[in-house]
Amino acid sequence: MDSYIIESNKKKSRLPARLDFAQSGTGLILGLFMWVHMMLIGSIILGKGSFNFVAKTMELAFLSETGHGFPIAVFFAVLTIFTLFITHALLGVRKFPISWKQHRIMRDQMQMMNHTDTNLWYVQVITGFIMFFAGSVHLYIMMTNPGSIGPYMSADRIVSGNMWPLYLVLLICVELHGTIGLYRLCMKWGWFAGKDAKKSRQALKKFKNRATIFFMTVGILALLVFIVIGINHRDKVGERYGSYVAVEQVEQVEQVQTDTAIAVPAEPQVPVVEGTLESEQAHEPEIVQEVEVTHE
Amino acid sequence: MKVIYTDSLVIGGGLAGLRVAIAAMQRGYDTIILSLVPAKRSHSAAAQGGMQASLGATIKGEGDDEEIHFADTVKGSDWGCDQDVARMFVNTSPKAIRQLSAWGVPWSRVRRGDREVVINGEKVIITEKDEAHGLITARDFGGTKKWRTCYTSDGAGHTMLYAMDNKAIQMGIPIHERKEAIALIHEDGVCHGAIVRDLISGELIAYVAKATTIATGGYGRLYSITTNAIISEGIGNAIALETGIAALGNMEAVQFHPTAIVPVGILTTEGCRGDGGLLLDKDGYRFMPDYEPGKKELASRDVVSRRMTEHMRKGKGVPSRYGDHLWLDITLLGRKHIEKNLREVKEICEYFLGIDPVEEYIPVRPTQHYSMGGIRTKPTGESPTLKGLFSAGEAACWDMHGFNRLGGNSVAETVVAGMIVGEFVADYCAANALNVSTSTIQRFMKQEEKKITDLLVRDFGENPFQLKAEMQKIMMDKVGIFRNGEDLSQAVEELKVLNRRAKKIALRNRISSSNPELVEAIRVPKMIKLAQCVAYGALLRTESRGAHAREDFPERNDRDWLKRTLTTWKDDSADMPEVFYEDLDVMKMEMPPGSRGYGVDNTVHHPDTVKRELEIEEIKKANPGADRFELQELLNPIPIPEKFKGKNERIGRGFK
Amino acid sequence: MSDQERVLKFQIFRYNPLKKGDKPRMVTYEVTEAPGMTIFIALNDIREQQDPSIQFDFVCRAGICGSCAMVVNGQPTLACRTLTSLYEDGEIKLLPLPGFELIGDLSVNTGKFMRAMSERVESWIHDTRADDVNYEKLEERMDPDVADEIYELERCVECGCCVSACATKRMRPDFLSAVGFMRLARFALDPRDKRTDDEFYEIMGDDDGVFGCMTLLGCEDYCPKDLPHQTQIAYLRRKMVLIR
Ligand SMILES: Cc1cc2nc3c(=O)[nH]c(=O)nc-3n(C[C@H](O)[C@H](O)[C@H](O)COP(=O)(O)OP(=O)(O)OC[C@H]3O[C@@H](n4cnc5c(N)ncnc54)[C@H](O)[C@@H]3O)c2cc1C
Ligand code: HEM
Ligand code: HEM
Ligand code: SF4
Ligand code: F3S
Ligand code: FES
Repeated sequence: MDSYIIESNKKKSRLPARLDFAQSGTGLILGLFMWVHMMLIGSIILGKGSFNFVAKTMELAFLSETGHGFPIAVFFAVLTIFTLFITHALLGVRKFPISWKQHRIMRDQMQMMNHTDTNLWYVQVITGFIMFFAGSVHLYIMMTNPGSIGPYMSADRIVSGNMWPLYLVLLICVELHGTIGLYRLCMKWGWFAGKDAKKSRQALKKFKNRATIFFMTVGILALLVFIVIGINHRDKVGERYGSYVAVEQVEQVEQVQTDTAIAVPAEPQVPVVEGTLESEQAHEPEIVQEVEVTHE
Repeated sequence: MKVIYTDSLVIGGGLAGLRVAIAAMQRGYDTIILSLVPAKRSHSAAAQGGMQASLGATIKGEGDDEEIHFADTVKGSDWGCDQDVARMFVNTSPKAIRQLSAWGVPWSRVRRGDREVVINGEKVIITEKDEAHGLITARDFGGTKKWRTCYTSDGAGHTMLYAMDNKAIQMGIPIHERKEAIALIHEDGVCHGAIVRDLISGELIAYVAKATTIATGGYGRLYSITTNAIISEGIGNAIALETGIAALGNMEAVQFHPTAIVPVGILTTEGCRGDGGLLLDKDGYRFMPDYEPGKKELASRDVVSRRMTEHMRKGKGVPSRYGDHLWLDITLLGRKHIEKNLREVKEICEYFLGIDPVEEYIPVRPTQHYSMGGIRTKPTGESPTLKGLFSAGEAACWDMHGFNRLGGNSVAETVVAGMIVGEFVADYCAANALNVSTSTIQRFMKQEEKKITDLLVRDFGENPFQLKAEMQKIMMDKVGIFRNGEDLSQAVEELKVLNRRAKKIALRNRISSSNPELVEAIRVPKMIKLAQCVAYGALLRTESRGAHAREDFPERNDRDWLKRTLTTWKDDSADMPEVFYEDLDVMKMEMPPGSRGYGVDNTVHHPDTVKRELEIEEIKKANPGADRFELQELLNPIPIPEKFKGKNERIGRGFK
Repeated sequence: MSDQERVLKFQIFRYNPLKKGDKPRMVTYEVTEAPGMTIFIALNDIREQQDPSIQFDFVCRAGICGSCAMVVNGQPTLACRTLTSLYEDGEIKLLPLPGFELIGDLSVNTGKFMRAMSERVESWIHDTRADDVNYEKLEERMDPDVADEIYELERCVECGCCVSACATKRMRPDFLSAVGFMRLARFALDPRDKRTDDEFYEIMGDDDGVFGCMTLLGCEDYCPKDLPHQTQIAYLRRKMVLIR
């Protein structure tokens, strides 16, 4: 009667502790990563140049003499994130309502109370579930095409590659899931509790809502810009952006014969204005198709 | 027939019941607790104010000890108490509180240094000693010389009950919840347990035990407006009464608390006044100093309640649709203090009155609060007439409260009585074998079964809810704070009629399992009997003592009434109880009757009082070197269980 | 308190599992509102005047004992201290607390649950010396602040609102739930309890324990005694996750 330990010498597994920690850890990294990610993607709003700069920097272009960078860096970054993502997802799945009955109870409970934080959790489950598929596709593409990030290539992927519906869904999901997740992390571990935890919670929740709105806006604007660029660039799919394009083209021509079709002269370095784009619409649609195939 | 056997059966899972059970269990006897509700929901949880124990750690309690606590208690009782019991009590209370501390009660502690308090309407700085830091602190309460009421913010009863129940759980004591004892099993003057109804299934179960302890709390619900829980209906007392053998003591001694909120009667703790709150009338005038210049708001409860009633009768009450009331002003204590030490009060004001007591006055009025009367027991806790029947806590008339109990002395009693009576229960279990025939058990079972079947088959008859309401109104209007012969005789007659009507209750919902109407139908006739005991005892007692205040007999009359009322109900078909009396022996009193120091002293003295006073003087003179313990031994040697005999340590004076 | 009388419409869950052939249903009762009326008063009125069979639990009727928790218009709360005037349209829907064994109508067996919880978390001071403490001597000292802090957590009245407000608990019946965490936090804080973190881990270190809590915070938001669930569960989680 004296002590639990004395009575039962068995020692409880530490695994649940580790898993919980891992869930939060991966969540935290992913959550913060997404903030960065959205800011980086958001650079497109400022113009193709900015985005291009960002993309190149990510490829560690400043380290390479050619200024070309190492797309492999992106590959490893994606791989890391992908691993975290899958780990996090698998950990998260443990918390899903596993049976129809459980799901029913959950819905009943939500309907009965209409309690915000419970509803938020449900949002996380739903968005998590969707991201499991949508996110995987995106990450797979990124991983397998590490060198394909740039104002045009990305925009082409979004428009001509018909990725935009996926991105839209993913964007909504990730922004909801991520910010709710970060808020929940603070609650879960008691961070930023301050003197008056109830007040801090209100403040954090407000911050969470603002963060969602902010990143969602950035994301949607970015997506719109990409779509505009993509639509205007529909005929020149595969064309790269900026001063390195020519160099790249050469390499690619050597590697992939079909690329010759788009070995057009390099564009001026200044961001393209719509007017110029207009004049460049004489390209053959068939070629576009070909290029896409190579990219897929 | 379902029969459950055990050594010790405890009816009631409040503080008293739990502590008795723990004591018996510690001595190795099988114990089962019965309770109407989960033990932690017992009404002990409602005690907000605190528990009296003369620890003397706070600076305002300095110098406190058993003698002073004893004197306060006896005076408070208006000399109606059993001084042997009061003595055992004051000696054990410090031990009880320290044990509870070890069992987990987070008593509020002394903090060294300066502290602002409100005394007599003024802000005062008091300085707590360094060496007292971290010891159990205490607050002021009505009718006490020292600050002696130990507390945990405003949840003393709650924390005590939780610690106690947790201890019982730790010891694996089974608590059978949602069970109601509806009759005692007894034969040849020995009690063998109880017939119990399962409130969920409706099943009747016989619990057969060597020792049966009734710790079912008070009977406040005989009144329509009371601070008590709605389960404080006195059924434990009633089933003892219905044996025809056990007697109830001092049933007319019913306490009214000065400050329950209007209209619902929920208590705001005495701690409000103890911490400095004031009583104001409709003009915002503080009237208590006019009546009681000495203790003012902190006079004894019965006194304050009467003064408030008097003042309202003078037209100084605040009129409201629920009748007149007065104001309790705690705004001067400040938000910080209220939110920390009187939070429960604040919550009650917010939820039930929609006011913030930090800024507004609280409407209060004296309201039924405590039952000094109960099952008469010896100092061992056993009934003098029915062997094997014990009682403790508010249900008992162990008699440490006499005719008025001091605030904070009640939860203290529950625990102390639990400790002491528990030992005697264990002794009884050791000395007696379980010796009862099945046919006896069956007889009692059949009897109760029949009563219930009768109720279930009767087509037309009285409505139990209505009977109860009528009884409660009679008690409220005619057996209240101020009593007089005329009202009381009316009440006695009217209750007699109710008693007859209660024999013909019929139900609308005729199922035997979980059925609130049936529960009521079983209880109401019992409650009416208790009400009759209270009203009749009050009618017969032609004096005023403690909470029993007769307008037609305003003086305390020691000459004729220094005695305890005993009530029995021998013949179940009779429509009135039998009342007789037990004298209190002045010549054995450690503290012979004197003045309580409130108002004019118009006591009619007992012829022995002076004699005893002289005797005491002589004993004191003959033993000039005797310390307080030796002196007490000389004046009143009492049989206190070995375990609790030891002296209590205090800071600054050790075991002296 | 408004003086004008209005008729309240109570929709009450009715079901007596012990009555053969009884089926769960909602029954509507009408009660004329009185000033200062609480759900406690209204329900008793219904029982006395309209339907004597209706089951519910009240003990202290003052918001102190925790007996009377039920779901009032979707919110788990203490019915005895809920004024009817809070509901502007005069419609009040009462359901028994979900997640507990139903006794009948609005009455659920929280007592049984809480006893099991207390046994599971060993809700008592673990100190082999507690029973032999010499109570004649001065009590062990305790820092006044620590005593106050313990009391903050000890204010729980075992009403069960936090249990019913937790979707996790409802989905996973073995989940310890918030009231258990509050109790553990209370003892973890208490210097008199000599249990080590390892021992606490044995009690709550799994997905039915603190790692199963998904931080839904229903407990925090519905606790009628405003216990600090969020910070305390977080505290336990931090304490437990660091164990090696
Ligand atoms: C609002 C309020 C505030 C108070 N504040 C203070 C204070 O500050 N200080 C102080 O000293 N005192 C105070 N008191 C008084 C004190 O709380 C009680 O006198 C004391 O707690 C009674 O304890 P008990 O164990 O005797 O009974 P209770 O705690 O009332 O327990 C009775 C038990 O008996 C059970 N029971 C009843 N009938 C039956 C039956 N027929 N069959 C089976 N079980 C049954 C019940 O379920 C319950 O478990 C206060 C009282 C009230 C009403
Ligand atoms: C594959 C898709 C994903 C699934 C299935 C998933 C699932 C979940 C689930 C179920 C939770 C709740 C865990 C709990 O209640 O204990 C959660 C938490 C969280 N998720 Fe995800 N998630 C996914 C992707 C992501 C992504 C991409 C991010 C980054 C933005 C993210 C960030 C978070 C964060 C920060 C938390 C809070 C961590 C915690 O509560 O411990 N998740 N996730
Ligand atoms: C290291 C890993 C990642 C890299 C390198 C990366 C890269 C990119 C790039 C370059 C784009 C622009 C569109 C495109 O080129 O197709 C993009 C868009 C997007 N990514 Fe990622 N991503 C990564 C991880 C993630 C993750 C984990 C998520 C969420 C689950 C995610 C969600 C999105 C969304 C929603 C968009 C569209 C944003 C918009 O246009 O507003 N990304 N990502
Ligand atoms: S923690 Fe709060 S909600 Fe939960 S049982 Fe205790 S008082 Fe009720
Ligand atoms: S509602 Fe439930 S999931 Fe955790 S935070 Fe409270 S216990
Ligand atoms: S009846 Fe006690 S809390 Fe409501």
